[in-house]
Order: sequence, then structure tokens, then C-alpha cells
Amino acid sequence: MSSRHCNPQAWPRLTLVIGKGGAGKSTVSTALAIHLAASHPTVLAELDQRGSPARLLGVQASTEGSVAAGERLELRTLSARRELEDFIRRIVPVRMISNRMLGSRTFAYVTAALPGLQAFLLLSRLSAMAGEAAREDRYVVVDGLSTGASLELLSVAAGIRSLAPAGTLNRLAAELEGFITDSNRLGVLIVVSPQELALKEALQAAATLRGQLNIGRVMAILNGVPAPLFSRAQAEAAMAADTAQAALVRRRLHLDEASLRVRQELAAAGLEVIELPMLFTASVGKAEATRLARALRHRVSA
Amino acid sequence: MKRASIYTGSHRLLLCLGPGGVGKTTTASALGMRAALEGRAVDVMTIDPAPRLLDALHLDASIAQPQEVSLESLAVSGGGRLRALKLDPKHTFDAVVNRYAPSRAMAQGILDNRIYRGISNALAGVADYMAMEKLLELYDDPGTSLIVLDTPPAREALDFLGAPERLLDLLNSRATALLGGGLKFSDLAARAVLSAFDRVTGLHLLSDVHAFVRSFEGMYQGFAQRAQRAREILAGPECLVLVITTPEELRVEETAAFIRSLDRAGINIDGLVVNRVAPPMPSRPAKAGASALQKKLERNWRDFAALKRRESAALRILSGMLPAGAMMLAAADLGHEPRSLRDLAEIAGSIDIAKPRRH
Repeated sequence: MSSRHCNPQAWPRLTLVIGKGGAGKSTVSTALAIHLAASHPTVLAELDQRGSPARLLGVQASTEGSVAAGERLELRTLSARRELEDFIRRIVPVRMISNRMLGSRTFAYVTAALPGLQAFLLLSRLSAMAGEAAREDRYVVVDGLSTGASLELLSVAAGIRSLAPAGTLNRLAAELEGFITDSNRLGVLIVVSPQELALKEALQAAATLRGQLNIGRVMAILNGVPAPLFSRAQAEAAMAADTAQAALVRRRLHLDEASLRVRQELAAAGLEVIELPMLFTASVGKAEATRLARALRHRVSA
Repeated sequence: MKRASIYTGSHRLLLCLGPGGVGKTTTASALGMRAALEGRAVDVMTIDPAPRLLDALHLDASIAQPQEVSLESLAVSGGGRLRALKLDPKHTFDAVVNRYAPSRAMAQGILDNRIYRGISNALAGVADYMAMEKLLELYDDPGTSLIVLDTPPAREALDFLGAPERLLDLLNSRATALLGGGLKFSDLAARAVLSAFDRVTGLHLLSDVHAFVRSFEGMYQGFAQRAQRAREILAGPECLVLVITTPEELRVEETAAFIRSLDRAGINIDGLVVNRVAPPMPSRPAKAGASALQKKLERNWRDFAALKRRESAALRILSGMLPAGAMMLAAADLGHEPRSLRDLAEIAGSIDIAKPRRH
């Protein structure tokens, strides 16, 4: 099957954008959110608090709550720590005690060491956001997790279920497993730059997501595909004719070859692949993110 | 002068900090190789090297001891050698437990504890702390004149530098008091809630936590001494603190935050190493004739010139955030990922003072 086929399935309510550092997660997340927001209210949620989407969109990021970044686009920050605080306040309704508890360093260590509690609570939040989005015909795009952290996050439901064979957490874990396997509610979008390392990591991640975690919808975005310029023969001729430009032509060829290789391997792995062009621009901001959003028009139907 | 050269100076440790995805391990390895080529006996400690880099260095990923990197094909000054070590935090932590536990049975008790397993696998600080442990081991090796220490990716630089304190905190008497005698009110409250938390969640962790903290009691002294020594080395004149980054707009703010967090902790960086700096642009191709091919060459030049402008802007901002007295170095982008020892040597050879161009 061609990697370019259009998937007739509706776009999932919540897209978890993952990938290696430097692959372009923030740029892709922002472009996707801009595209979805063209027709539906969309939340772009950032997890790592680096503020990259805000910078791309040219708005002031807020660590608490959310900020409007367009007519239908809302920027939000999420943090595992805040989810933990909310959770403790829910199970310990006496404010004074819950605050002391949260302020206790020992408690901080225990929760940090607890296998995946914070991740679990965060995943619960994502599940709730996806549920709301489905009810209100909205979309959510989540940016900011490295591949490893995302796999941990998505594995946490099964992990907690085996740790807590009964009780509240067990019941919640079962619900979360329902969420991550539902292709209408969750899609995982792996951002791949045309580099071998990024590719390798992406393929491994895809195998784990599909094979072990039973994620219903796993897609890849090949980010930074240069527009075709030289044919091989032209490049050879150019390098011979103009030695001053030879190094630049070789760089271009390296980019072309890397994209081609990555494209082939992603397709061979049977992944749904969306390609985004490499932007040869002197800066990357809202205009560039909007250009990328337009490139998504025919591949992502909200 | 500590900063005259990062390779030939009197310092014995290059501490490479920085966010994820900037090629920190590659840069650390290239720095180490450069020093080795200039005649120093170097150990490079990496935390999570990419398989390709292991291949390039001809390293066996399963060996937790320093391995000699063959520099045969390269021009090495007298006495230079390079060893590389891949750190396995879990493995090192287990070794530390075995070393400090008063008895074998006690060591086994710790290794089997659910909290320990959770901590040793998941708690980010543990990898950092274990890097410290290994560092001390190598530091005391008289055959090594320079250690290049790659660190786990971190958003906050303090993840690494604060690791000894955090682990000590976890193990110190405050934690023991929480679960044993001599409780303060806040600890009592915390304990009550922990126990409620346990019941509600069905995790039944409290007894594990208790056993964990208890089992570490006898080991505290050893940990404390090691942490103290690591602190002295890292704060001392023999250590150069380098922040690794890339010349990308979206990285600039992250790097600035990183440097600020170091500054708040009273740590001055000695240098910023900017990885993947593109080579200088050739002059614009001649337009004469303007054949189809010449037009394409022109277009290609314009494309890369735009990227170079983007890079220069990032470099200018980076140089502006450099603390007084610190230097900015650049390592070349090869146009592809380093695949061989020769690629790494090329990056090593390219490392030079960065001079951001004005526009």
C-alpha cells in the first residue's frame, strides 16, 4: 500500500505528538493545531513547559491555565506535578493536611519513586480531555514528550493495574486502557526527521505502540522533506562544473537521500505517513507554521 | 589560565550539560577525542549513547567498563589515548548497594524492594547520581588525565548537580523519622495521608517504603562521603562546566533558561559548545548565462543561505547570553550523522571558537 494513501478515518480527538529531541515536535504540533483550528475549536496542550508553541504562535505563554492563540485555538500547559496536587487534594479533602503533605519532601520522593503515579494521573487528564473533545466536537493536540517518556506514559495504565490489583487505581487503569486503544479518541503521531537515529527510534516506538500497547492509531510525520531540486546527474554535473558550490550541492543530496531512505522505511513498516516540507527560511514563526498547516490540509481531515 | 584551552589546560574534568536532542553525547565524544589527539589520556563517560555512536567508536554496549577506542588511523600526539565508557545507571546503583550494604542479605533485601526497583529505574536523579559514582571511580585512576562527562538530558541543569543532595535527602534521618520515631507534626500528617493514600489506591506501599528507608540506614555514611567528594570536584578549579546546545531558534530560550538555572545555583559556566554549526557559505554562484543548472545552483545557494541566516541569528543570541569570561565554541555539522571514527574525528577537528557574524 502506498504511504500516500488518504486515511478515510476521522482524525482522532486527541493527538499525542511524540518524537526525538530536535525532530520538530513543537513545529509539527503547532502546525497541526492551526490546521484543526481552521474548522474546529482546538486545544494545543504543552507538556514540557519549554514554551515553544507559544513562541511559534507569537503569544505569551502562561504556566497556569490557558491563553487564546487564535479564533478557535487555545494554548494550554499541562504538568504532571499539578495533576498530582489535584489528586492529593481530591483524596485528602482537608486543605491543611493535603498542603502539608504536598510540601513534605519525603512525600515528594515517595511519589517520584512510585512507579508512574504522576504519569498515570497525567494520562487520566488526557483521557478526560479527549472525552470532552469528543462530546463537544473539538480537537486536542499534545506537544512536548520525548519518545521514551511517551511510551512510559502510555504503558502506565497496564503497570498500575498490575501494581494495584484492586481499588480505585485499578478501576481507573482499566478505563485508561480503553482510552489508549480507542482510535477515535487517541492518535499517536511520531515526528521523524530525515535522520537515521530518528528513524530507528520511530520504528521501535511504532512497534511498541502497536504491538505491546495496542494503540489503535499510530501515524508518522516525516518532517523536513526538501523540495526536489537536482537529479543525480544534474548534481554530478553541477559539482564538477562549479567546485565552489560543490559542498552545498552535496548537502542537498544528503538531505534528499536521507528523506528518501526514511520515507521508504516508514512505508515498509506499514505506517500511515504524512510528509511536511523542509522550510528553507531565515526564521521559523507563525507564518512558517501556517505554511506547514496548509500542507496538512489534504492529509488531515477534521 | 583555566580557559586558555579546554584541551591542554590543567583541568581534569569537562562536565557537559545541556538539553536533550542537541547531540550532547556526540559533542562530548568529539571533545574527548580532540583532547586525546592533542596528547591527553582521556576517558569519555556517556550515559545513553546512540547505537551509531557506539558503532563509530567500536564499543560493545554490554560492557560497563571503560573500553579503549582505537585511534590508530589518526594523528595522535604523544601520550594521547581515548577510552569510552557507557554508563548503566541501574547496574551502577546495584553495585553501589552491594558495596555499601553491611551484609549480603541486606543488599539482596534492598535490590528486591519494590521502592528500590521503582527508584532505580524511574527516578531521574538516580542516573545522575550514578554518573557521579562512576566519575569518582575514574577520577581516582592515575592513568587518566582528563574525564569528559556526558550527562543525561535535563531541562534543569540542577538535575545533575543536585543529584547527590537529593539522594542524601531521601536517605537521611528525616526520611527515617517519618516512618520511625521522633515525628514532627508535619511528618505525622504526611504519614497519616500516606497511609490513607495506600488504602485508597490499593498500592500497599507503606511497608515497602519503610523497609527501604530502614535498609539504607547503615549505608548513609558511605553515600554522604562520596557525595561530598563529588561536590568538591565539581566546584573545584579542575572542572570546566560546558553547556552543549545547537544553533536553533527554538533551542535558544531553553539554553538561556538552562544557564539561568545554573547561575541561580551559583555555578558559572566556562563555555557554551554549539553543536551542528553549518560550514561557511561559499559566495553566490555566478549568474552568467543562467542555464537551467545555474538557476538551480542559485536556488540551492539561496536555500542554504536562508538557513545560514537563521543559524547566525541564533548564534548571535547565544553569544549574547554568555556570562563574562566564558567562551563559545562551535562544532561542525557534517551534513549527515557521524557514522565512523573518521566522522567523529572530523567533528573533533572542527571544534573552534565561534565567531557569530553580524548582519
